[in-house]
Amino acid sequence: MRAYAASDEETLRVRRYLNDWAGEGLLSDARYQAMEQEAECGLRRTNGFLRLVLFVFTMISASAAAWLFFVTFFQGQLAGNSREQGIFLLVIAALVYAGAEVCVSGARLYRHGIEEALAVLSVLFLCAGLLGVLGRDFTSQGSSASLVPAAGAIVSFWIYRRFGFLYAFVAAMIFVAFLPQYGTASHTGQRLILAIIYTAGLATVALVRTAHRFDYLDEEYSLVEALLWLGLYLTFNLRLSSLSLLADLGNQPSASTAESAGAFYWTTYALIWCLPAVLLWRALRMKDRWLLGLGMVIALLTLITNKAYLRWPIHPWDPMFLGVLLAGVAIVVRRWLAKGPSGVRGGFTARRLSGRDKEWMSNLSSVSSVVSPGPAAGPAEPSFGGGSSGGGGASSNF
Amino acid sequence: MTVLGRLDRWRDQGALTPEQHALLDGLVRGNPCSVFLHLNFLLYAGVLAFVGGLGWTAEAYSQQLGDLVVVAGLTLLLAACLGYCFAKAPPYSGAETPSPNLVLDYVLYLGSLTWSAELTYLEKRFHLLSGQWDLYLLATALFFFALAYRFDNRFVLSLALSTLAGWFGVTIAQTTGYGEASYRQFAILYSLVVGVAGIALQSWGIKRHFLGTYLNIAANVLMMALLSGVFTREGYLLWLLLLVLACGASLWYGVTQRQFSFVAYAALYGYAGVSAILIRNLHDASALLTYFVVTGVTMVVVLVVLARRFGREP
Repeated sequence: MRAYAASDEETLRVRRYLNDWAGEGLLSDARYQAMEQEAECGLRRTNGFLRLVLFVFTMISASAAAWLFFVTFFQGQLAGNSREQGIFLLVIAALVYAGAEVCVSGARLYRHGIEEALAVLSVLFLCAGLLGVLGRDFTSQGSSASLVPAAGAIVSFWIYRRFGFLYAFVAAMIFVAFLPQYGTASHTGQRLILAIIYTAGLATVALVRTAHRFDYLDEEYSLVEALLWLGLYLTFNLRLSSLSLLADLGNQPSASTAESAGAFYWTTYALIWCLPAVLLWRALRMKDRWLLGLGMVIALLTLITNKAYLRWPIHPWDPMFLGVLLAGVAIVVRRWLAKGPSGVRGGFTARRLSGRDKEWMSNLSSVSSVVSPGPAAGPAEPSFGGGSSGGGGASSNF
Repeated sequence: MTVLGRLDRWRDQGALTPEQHALLDGLVRGNPCSVFLHLNFLLYAGVLAFVGGLGWTAEAYSQQLGDLVVVAGLTLLLAACLGYCFAKAPPYSGAETPSPNLVLDYVLYLGSLTWSAELTYLEKRFHLLSGQWDLYLLATALFFFALAYRFDNRFVLSLALSTLAGWFGVTIAQTTGYGEASYRQFAILYSLVVGVAGIALQSWGIKRHFLGTYLNIAANVLMMALLSGVFTREGYLLWLLLLVLACGASLWYGVTQRQFSFVAYAALYGYAGVSAILIRNLHDASALLTYFVVTGVTMVVVLVVLARRFGREP
């Protein structure tokens, strides 16, 4: 099923480790060179920035080519005929997907942007084509209307399995989220169906990844599992997924509050506390850094939405307590770990062990000015510079 | 063969000592497992939440608490943060200085944000400078630069650069009023100041590792400003020429220094600028689409060649 040989992907993983270890000074240059030569790989890769730019330009040229083809040959005949336009788009989707396959099998491209853009376009054309073919049927709540998200989910999942693009897995999860509405009109029922699908996915991944604990699929399955946990959490956190949190922060009861006051509401409240606990326990047991990170994020989301869930008044000082709690936990954990032999306790350390962590920190500092609290709002707020992105960093609430 | 298998082979071949093998094998197995990033995330989120709550509380309760209590509280917090940083940080060095502990960077960040909150509060309540916001912003930017260099802190450096941008923005509004052309000129001036300052400090050996932060901000602001000029009705050819020159410089820097973000900037901003001019009077759909097909494919080919020569992932 996979477009790349397992040996190639394993070799790439070896090279990433070697690069990291050499960067951290764990290997001498000479040793690194010798080991790197042993880990030659025939796949063509590029760095992240060029990958992104290649993705963008492939999207532009391929979508323009499809449109040009349509304008040149079919515009007159197919004008107003959405079914035939849809069929045309389905053919284009197949051609574009074939292009992605050729890029991988022929040119040996690996995370190169080009094959990724073609694969993404194939899903977009497929969905647009199905919309065209279904025409009026799509607007009705019939079973044929569910064909678009179902096909989108299946093809996105296929692309993930075939090429390993994690964002294709995310797309599949999003498509799946649209499916339950075609089965039932009940919002509770929709959430339950979605939760069952994500839970089944979680169980499958948990089973499958045990056989890949130390190979190249381990990190990928870890991310997939994290995404499924996130999907499950978002399904159950009614305050987040109903987008009523902002209204709640302004102390205005939202419409969904009145609707969701039954047993299901309180069950989800219990679940949004249980899920982070279960996930953190699993992450610590497996020493899985992605799951641990996600466990922390969803625990934070639970703390943020807790008062809104309980319909308690939100006070201005609540974020201060939250901040003290978060920083306090970090400081206590760091000190506790540092007191262990060689700074290690229970197999965990607060020390940085990888160059990739340094990159993450560098990226975090780069975007810090964007997400820091709003600037000092002067009398004449300019659109350039201070704006809503950083500036002095003080709250604009004054 | 898996990483663990290769490590065993390299140990057997003598390429790795048993100690090296044990260390690397442990790293692959996640033993020990580093929670460095997780703790940083908690500290960062904690500081942001705390300062957000601080500002909100000061705003909501300034009448009940009284100005003296609010200002005294903020001043105490600021003094405590700075006192901690000066007490714990190693002496100043022009070279990269790792933080002595995980907390110091975030205490400094907290102090910087508290300073901003206090200044904002003072001005809003007492109008000390009669609405001269540009002076506050300039003083704050300079203070942040001093802290960023003293404590080798990129979080505060980013704050300093964005506060400096805020000062440029407010200065425009006060001197020339709102206007796209004015903003563009000041954005160009800002990017040149930031770029030249970054290069000068790097050449003097002062925190050389900060150069990337300066140049990334300068390049993006400069190219966005030039690109906005290309979209104007008059005089756009001059802006296009300047944009092409800026993109050329960015491309050259990116390729020679292997900083591929600059190659990406050159490609994206350059393509947008040139396309804006070329398709300006193109109204036929086929011609427009042909343009995007031809230029898109050309860009892909050029970038693939560039990637194969310079940008291969190790």
